[in-house]
Amino acid sequence: MNRRRFVQRGLFGGALLLLGGGGLMLYPTRRIASASKPLRVLDDRGFQVIVAVAARVITAPDADPVVLAERIDESLSRTPPEAQADLASLVGLFENALPGLLLDGRATPFTRLDGAAQDHALMQWRDSSLVVRRSGYHALRRLCFVAYYGDERSWPAIHYGGPPDVKGFSHDDSKAGTPEWIAAQDQKAGAP
Amino acid sequence: VTKLSVIRASKSVIDGSLASADLELSADVCIIGSGAGGAVVASVLAAAGVSVIVVEEGGYFSTADFDMHEAHTVPKLYQEAMQRTTADLAVSVLQGRAVGGTTVVNWTTSFRTPEAVVEHWAKKHAVGGFHYADIVPHYEAIEARLSIHEVDESAMNRNNRKLYDGCKSRGFAVAPTRRNVYQCMQTGYCGTGCPINAKRSMLVTMVPDAIDAGARLLFRCRIDRLESSAGEITAATGTLLDASGYAVTGKRATIKAKRFILSGGAINSPAVLLRSGLNENGLVGTRTFLHPTIGVTGLYDEPIEAFYGAPQTAASHAFAHRGDDVGFFMEAAPGYPVLSATAIPGFGASHRQMMETFAHRTLHIALGIDGFHDDVPGGTVKLRPSGAPLLDYPIPPRLWEAFRTAQTRLVEINLASGAKEVTTLHDPPITVTGEKDIHLLDAARWEPCRVGVFTAHQMGGCRMGDDPKGSVVRSEDLRHHTIKNLHVIDGSVFPTSLGVNPQESIYGLARLMASRIAPR
Repeated sequence: MNRRRFVQRGLFGGALLLLGGGGLMLYPTRRIASASKPLRVLDDRGFQVIVAVAARVITAPDADPVVLAERIDESLSRTPPEAQADLASLVGLFENALPGLLLDGRATPFTRLDGAAQDHALMQWRDSSLVVRRSGYHALRRLCFVAYYGDERSWPAIHYGGPPDVKGFSHDDSKAGTPEWIAAQDQKAGAP
Repeated sequence: VTKLSVIRASKSVIDGSLASADLELSADVCIIGSGAGGAVVASVLAAAGVSVIVVEEGGYFSTADFDMHEAHTVPKLYQEAMQRTTADLAVSVLQGRAVGGTTVVNWTTSFRTPEAVVEHWAKKHAVGGFHYADIVPHYEAIEARLSIHEVDESAMNRNNRKLYDGCKSRGFAVAPTRRNVYQCMQTGYCGTGCPINAKRSMLVTMVPDAIDAGARLLFRCRIDRLESSAGEITAATGTLLDASGYAVTGKRATIKAKRFILSGGAINSPAVLLRSGLNENGLVGTRTFLHPTIGVTGLYDEPIEAFYGAPQTAASHAFAHRGDDVGFFMEAAPGYPVLSATAIPGFGASHRQMMETFAHRTLHIALGIDGFHDDVPGGTVKLRPSGAPLLDYPIPPRLWEAFRTAQTRLVEINLASGAKEVTTLHDPPITVTGEKDIHLLDAARWEPCRVGVFTAHQMGGCRMGDDPKGSVVRSEDLRHHTIKNLHVIDGSVFPTSLGVNPQESIYGLARLMASRIAPR
């Protein structure tokens, strides 16, 4: 079995994740921005990677990748500790040049690539023969969309009018709609 | 008349996040979970004079919380803030977590269990403890209590109308659904908690019924274990969560009872049993079913606004029975912005372009009917080292084949309804602009994480049956085979999936079983 076949089998997935978690770095991560508040789940390196990913996933002119990365950190705090650790490893793997070199011939960390090359890296993950890389692409993209489209300021540009106004109308009665309740209402209203 | 606001403020309702010391409570019956199973059992037992305590992990919310805004409501109302997935991240798991359970966020579609499914269970899974006819009076009672009735065809939103008309024009059987709503204003936001309590969820019906009849409710308490001694459960022990629902307070709860009823749903009920070491025959967590779901989005000249209007008012079961092939059924999904954005494939400019037209898009889904074929045996709930559940669900080849066929049917339906183009949820997507290029769909790669798959219907994991070696609970009263004071009453007891949206199946079975357990 040659190396490529071995990788395709997915047996390598766990080892790759380990590599992403700590991993030998050929080049350091580029520092793009500082978080405005203490991070709950991501470490600083992971935060920089998420900022870089968010900038490519959300290209709307009003999007601020730093704000999105802060929201993503918060939403990760709502998952079990193992899921947080897996995501941290995926982010590390995504950034780390060594697995990049091994799998894609890319020796530069994701944060140090230009925009077009970052898009290319995202697509390499999307199209990978390894489930673990495809899942990483989907996890990262999903986190960005939740962070961006959850904010009502993103809505006008996608022609979403937001929720309707329902103020002043709500049932506060547990029996509303039951036949007995309707009969009682009718009686109260003097209906025959 | 029972005012919800009065019930919620009553002394019988205990907010675990506020406890300043460990809690010790006791009752005749402790029910773990307040969703479709637990709330029904609680209301029946409390009405029969049994002393009941219901324990719920989620928060106790009201219309004040249900502002129809995904960013505000999803972290409150869904397990893991809707980030729960299967082990390989290939399937997104939509499952509620709140007083009222998933019924607070479901899309109100109400079906009785198909009679043929109950017969299949009897024949293939040794479910001899009840007949379909035994459940019927309970369906009828639930339907009256929850105002379940058929949708008026004229009230369909455009998302459902396109599905309905497309099916008719293709000659695929389709029908209006039934919904558990009263005086519905068709806001469309069933998935983020009904803002006007038109949805007759457990939160506003059976939970208040139970409390009104004397039951107590402890919320923000996650049950960790069932403690046992001499073959009986003696207590349920749990961790109290803070008001966010995601951090522990450091305080614990112990609930002592004579009888325990596990109603945590298809992922959490097996997890409680596994954490408690109660898995003698090794079947707990196995045969977990999801109705794994794929979708397409059709683009139309006219606005669709799939986010407004009742989310699911049409359903097609034309392909539910495909003999040796795995069946599927087709429905619509509400296109809220975050839900749509995560379903739509791609990133950057291509994704943005699709989002800019999302108000003109349908979102139609096909749900695979798992568990009826030997090689579609569902997934397995295991435990992570922290004790949190982890669902492993490898999608078998025959289910992928069902998806392939289902996707083609969904594309055909949209084209018949006048779509300019129909796009799959593959990444990269396949876009079809007319009958002539339907063949493009043949190139779709059906593998994990190449196509969006989600589940809103979790079932199985604690299956019922009359063979103690082949099931977890016996079918006559859903009592555990070896532990005499433990029952499991929720969607986890189903030996297969259902082929229909599950809420009413759980209500009906829970009411039947509660009536058998209740003292006469």
